[in-house]
Amino acid sequence: MVLDDLGSSLRGTLDKLRGKSRISEEDVDEIVKEIQRSLLQADVDVSLVMDLSESIEERALEEEPPGGTSARDHVLRIVYEELVDLVGDSTEIPLENQTILLAGLQGSGKTTTAAKMAWWFSKKGLRPAVIQTDTFRPGAYDQAKQMTERAEVAFYGDPDEDDPVKIARDGLEATEDADVHIVDTAGRHALEDELIGEIEEIESAVEPDRSLLVLDAAIGQGAKDQAREFDDSIGIDGVAITKLDGTAKGGGALTAVDETGSTIAFLGTGETVQDIERFEPDSFISRLLGMGDLKQLTERVERAMEETGLEEDDDWDPEDLMKGEFTLKDMRKQMEAMDNMGPLDQVMDMIPGMGGGMMDQLPDDAMDVTQERMRNFEVIMDSMTEEELENPRSVGASQVRRIAKGSGQSEETIRELLDQHKMMAQTMKQFQGMGDGDMQRMMKQMQQGGGGGGGGGGFGGMF
Amino acid sequence: MFDGLKDKLSNFREDAEEVAEENAEALDSDEADDGETADGAEADAVEAEAAAAEATAEAEAESEPENAEAEPEGDSESGGGFVSKASSLARGRVVIDEEDLEEPLRELEFALLESDVEMSVAEEILDRIRDDLAGEEKKFTASTGALVEDALRDALLSVIDVDGFDFEDAIADSEKPVTVVFTGVNGVGKTTTIAKLAKRLEDQGYSVVLANGDTYRAGANEQLQEHADELGVKLISHEQGGDPTAVVYDAVEYAEANDVDVVLGDTAGRLHTSSDLMTQLEKLDRVVDPDYTVFVDEAVAGQDAVNRAREFDDAASIDGAILTMADADSQGGAAISVSHVTGKPILFLGTGQGYDDLRKFDPEALVDDLLEDED
Repeated sequence: MVLDDLGSSLRGTLDKLRGKSRISEEDVDEIVKEIQRSLLQADVDVSLVMDLSESIEERALEEEPPGGTSARDHVLRIVYEELVDLVGDSTEIPLENQTILLAGLQGSGKTTTAAKMAWWFSKKGLRPAVIQTDTFRPGAYDQAKQMTERAEVAFYGDPDEDDPVKIARDGLEATEDADVHIVDTAGRHALEDELIGEIEEIESAVEPDRSLLVLDAAIGQGAKDQAREFDDSIGIDGVAITKLDGTAKGGGALTAVDETGSTIAFLGTGETVQDIERFEPDSFISRLLGMGDLKQLTERVERAMEETGLEEDDDWDPEDLMKGEFTLKDMRKQMEAMDNMGPLDQVMDMIPGMGGGMMDQLPDDAMDVTQERMRNFEVIMDSMTEEELENPRSVGASQVRRIAKGSGQSEETIRELLDQHKMMAQTMKQFQGMGDGDMQRMMKQMQQGGGGGGGGGGFGGMF
Repeated sequence: MFDGLKDKLSNFREDAEEVAEENAEALDSDEADDGETADGAEADAVEAEAAAAEATAEAEAESEPENAEAEPEGDSESGGGFVSKASSLARGRVVIDEEDLEEPLRELEFALLESDVEMSVAEEILDRIRDDLAGEEKKFTASTGALVEDALRDALLSVIDVDGFDFEDAIADSEKPVTVVFTGVNGVGKTTTIAKLAKRLEDQGYSVVLANGDTYRAGANEQLQEHADELGVKLISHEQGGDPTAVVYDAVEYAEANDVDVVLGDTAGRLHTSSDLMTQLEKLDRVVDPDYTVFVDEAVAGQDAVNRAREFDDAASIDGAILTMADADSQGGAAISVSHVTGKPILFLGTGQGYDDLRKFDPEALVDDLLEDED
């Protein structure tokens, strides 16, 4: 995820400050060097990095830590504030009728992003339409058409027309009924004058409420020039970063935001139309600092819950997890919900103590293995009786044999499932009756324990 | 491409020379006559005549300072500078101190990073230059300019000029049909590159068949089909969702049956973090066993370029790389990083959206261009 290397190396450096109440010039120097290094490796613009590290250094040395604050917390707060300053707020996207123009380099992911955004708007209760004006790239029309079918949103394009401005105009008319118009454009880069002229024409034809620059997370220092050029020609109101499911850190987007005076609007995190997130500066920084991303996790959980067929199971309420006995049924619901949230590694990334450093320690295929395990567990649970599901602790050896026969799974796997349940039930007990303050304390504990200890144990057992 | 780096390299040269010459000056303070020769503005002149100076200087390196003094008569002030350095050296003094180099090297590091050279690769370049320059005595007889330039050239070439594999020679020499498979992440321009290469090969008199191994992306078949129609070449494709290995395999069979020279196999873009898709790529590599695998990435890619290149090389060993969108990029560090980390050459640069916008990549010419004087 974005900048999570920064999270882990920064955490390492900051940990050295633990227990100190005063901070020396060398400490600050080391932290600043670490920050510089991480930001540069994340493709943030060199001069931007220098500015940022300078202000952190200055403030860390000059500002007195407020009474009772440790040196570590003091520096952490400064780093946090400066980073929030750097990334800015997320682009305001009101949920109302509007036209959005997408621009960007070839292959940055505009067409996919258009379909994803349309899907996002449709989940918010608006009727979106995608208008495809890329008349240059062969197959662009077909791609947009298929993507919008997957997103189940309206689409306009005209494979026989070769004037993108006309398509844009016709498209707006043809999709008049839609609330949100997303105008996709052909890829172009800042040095292609003719194409820059073309997008200016499209811009004046559709009069977008906002123009978004779509940027590949892997873009390097060139982001600065590209962003400036696009901003000069059509005015950039926000940035969408794509392909964040790779290893690229997306620092180029920060550069672009800085250069255009705009903000980050959306993050693309996978190949399906659902793999889109609104950019949240606070949660972004939390994730960056290795503190997990609770807000977005909650959003995903809510969405997943909606889709986990609550109709057929009205008696199941996630709130129940927080009180009473944790049964295998709860565990199954939880697994289904997680499955609906998307690939497990993305979800894990957002759980406090699970992202960043801890993910790095896992073998590459850990997530695949886990997902397969979850599928096996589901098969097993299908072969269990109601009584066994409600009361898994009562399952004895003969029952295990019966379930193994019924599900075609080994007895070993069934015992693993039961162990897993026990562990999760214990974890849930710890969560129960916790206030906000307790939660934070636990997060801290998990962080300090390298993510493995404390409340992480329940999930940790899954690997 | 590389415009920014070019300026920065020239700055480094001047800084390093300045540092060195200041030292030389200090050492030669008794020889007051060439005191003013060591300023930065003059550095270029020193190095412009470096080639000429070098030849003579080498011969005179071990000889008496008096001989050196007699040498470059017509060389105005810069000749004086050279002589003073040569003479100080003859007295066994080391002119470049590692410590003095740190500041210019730090500047150079940022310059390389600004040019998208990956951090570890940048550090390696710096190490080479540091080793090459610091404490240097013998070579120093040439001139600071030539010395710094040599060190830069060596360091750059050592990371960029990997053992040659010439794509066109390879096609010419291979038994037909030659199968080439293209890999890379999403949206870097694999399909467009294949179309350009098909055109280039057809122009050179080869017959070409395209295979669309991208059975995943919406619109992929249509995109390649349009290119095939435009170029008048045959495209083998299956339904979306089919097995990419089978498509390329069919294309090879088609080529064998119809005496086609070259099979160009496209694959779906995939992020190297997607283990399923990377496994699929391994399978394709194993079953089809292509003669060559070419990794495609975009020149605008930043630090992550090396991760991808390494992962793709691991999954299906690559023979070379093609960088697209070189016309959009003034940095170009990706070229340096990718070839260094994979040990495989950059074969071509994509330089525009037309079929003919494909340029052969020549590392020597690139380094020459980088080190060339702007005036």
